[in-house]
Amino acid sequence: MNRKRALVSDTFMVKKRRNGTETFGADGDRDGPTDVKSSLEYLRTLFPRKLFNDTLPQIVLKHQLYSIHHDKTLVDKEVSKLREQGELLMFQLGFDSEAFGLVFASDYKAKVLAGEEGKVTRAAVEKFLEKAVSSCTDLSFSKDKMLKEFLFTDSEITQLVKSGVLTVRDAGSWWLSIPNSGKFTKYFIQGRKAVLGMVKKSKYSEVMKADIEERPSTSQVKFHMKYHIHDIVGAELVESIPTTSGTLLRFVDS
Amino acid sequence: MLGFLTARQVGLDDPLRLRRAESTRRVLGLKLNPDRDVDRIHGNGINTIDIDAIEVFHLLNYSSLWMCDKCKIHCSNGWGYYQCRNRYVHKFSVETVQWYPYDTGMFVSSSFDKTMKVWDTETLKPAEVFEFEGNVYSHHLSPIARKHSLIAVGTKNPKIQLCDLKSGSRIHVLHGHRGEVLSVRWSPRYEHILASASADSKVKVWDVRRASGSLFTLDQHNGDKSKASSEAVNTAHNGRVNGLCFTGDGLHLLTAGTDDRMRLWNSASGENTLVNYGKVCNESRKRLQFTVSRGCSPEFVFVPCGSSVAVYALHTGELVTMLRGHYNNVDCCEFHPDYQELYSGGKDCNILAWVPVLRVSDVEEETSRENKVQETILDEGKFGNLLHQKKITSLP
Repeated sequence: MNRKRALVSDTFMVKKRRNGTETFGADGDRDGPTDVKSSLEYLRTLFPRKLFNDTLPQIVLKHQLYSIHHDKTLVDKEVSKLREQGELLMFQLGFDSEAFGLVFASDYKAKVLAGEEGKVTRAAVEKFLEKAVSSCTDLSFSKDKMLKEFLFTDSEITQLVKSGVLTVRDAGSWWLSIPNSGKFTKYFIQGRKAVLGMVKKSKYSEVMKADIEERPSTSQVKFHMKYHIHDIVGAELVESIPTTSGTLLRFVDS
Repeated sequence: MLGFLTARQVGLDDPLRLRRAESTRRVLGLKLNPDRDVDRIHGNGINTIDIDAIEVFHLLNYSSLWMCDKCKIHCSNGWGYYQCRNRYVHKFSVETVQWYPYDTGMFVSSSFDKTMKVWDTETLKPAEVFEFEGNVYSHHLSPIARKHSLIAVGTKNPKIQLCDLKSGSRIHVLHGHRGEVLSVRWSPRYEHILASASADSKVKVWDVRRASGSLFTLDQHNGDKSKASSEAVNTAHNGRVNGLCFTGDGLHLLTAGTDDRMRLWNSASGENTLVNYGKVCNESRKRLQFTVSRGCSPEFVFVPCGSSVAVYALHTGELVTMLRGHYNNVDCCEFHPDYQELYSGGKDCNILAWVPVLRVSDVEEETSRENKVQETILDEGKFGNLLHQKKITSLP
């Protein structure tokens, strides 16, 4: 939409670009349009595939995007746009009511079908992927919906739960889920706790971001350090403060 | 800025546009007042502040203490203050205080001693006392009402009481909540619309003319039942909802809850606009008094967050700045729309004034100002028989 007049807010919010001067310290990220898809691709590369023997699709958490882009509402809008287009799937991960996992739809379908090779439940899962996942962008399904809209039978629903594509939410409704993601959740929570502990134990409960990224991963931390750092910054468990020698992460005591 | 001024001079722009641009610029430059302090006259934390809208120079605030509570009225001209007679004060902490919307002849205060008192400003004695069964968390008088003079009261009881100022009756009761009502607010757009927030995580919007229940309940998922667990159906927040504020035009409603989230709702349809403010720390057991700016573009929300005040842009959810200055938790804040000033009060017994500091004054200007200050002190001495405590303005 082309505006004939500039908004009043534009006068005050636009930051001037520095020409040619070197930005020392923390990098700003405000210039340029927010490209959520490319950040998703970048975060996707941080996911360790061989830890799970390639059975899991690459999962990115929604709040990790908040640590890269500053405008949370815009990130939310872009994510729901991608979900509407059918490219992205969102899952309720279970350990936190606000933690949502994002997986590219193509990845998800490929891994699920690969996992179902030679199993009895394969037919039901294929049908589910075609009908329900492609058309509907919900996080959970109720019994009514499954039976009437998608015309699944009870036995098929049981097979879907068995294969891990659906998890029980309460009597008569199910969450959409990723098969074999239990291990992911376990390692993730373990790793998050360990990284937070590292920040908390440091002097003044603060640590330079570059510093902690370089540290060798302990046995508790199975993922890439950057993955965990994006997670704790996005979930606002640590505060990210720009300083002259880089970004500082300070533990938030709540 | 110069562009706006030229456009206004030439006639390209509406005068309102320049006003909004200047207000926004001033709000973006809010800093702790370097010149004056509001007197530290309370011995205890400040719970609530209200600025009168008509004459716009009185500031009313209340302190909390177990035994004796004082109500202080500040005149911003001479910074004098008045105190209510000890015999009539509340026995426990005072939670909410509000000027009568049409003039400063009257104000209403409610407290944890289960009463609500209507005070006469001239004599500083209560004209009417309403008694309730539970602690009164919050009350509100409609700022635009012409046809009614109802005070909505939220108490520990899940029923919202409406007290009539004209007749003194309180038979009108609104049923619907299941937990204590932590905050009530009338809409600044329609005089019959009332919003209430409760500890049962629900926010209900009522039309007081209707005999049956609420108009609608705000739902954070906008009816999308798949988003969260089934217990969270029709709730505005995942915890207690303790803050309510309408925007200046009454089109949007902001709610804050103990799940550390703040949400913006469309007040006509009850739809969650899904603006993401991030984590807004909220540990208050009682009502949280936050405020929205008026007359700026974009509007700003000022929320007390721990020991500082967080300023968010209303529609984008971006954190603009944190105003630090208090030594302890901030309990309340109030915006003065004509001067674009923010007053905040907290547990450290201070009321801080945040003013737009747009230009740091030079050394030459300071010496000339010194002379001017001496004159104003002499002038204030001429003002009549007021219970005065003069605050000598300190030199910057």
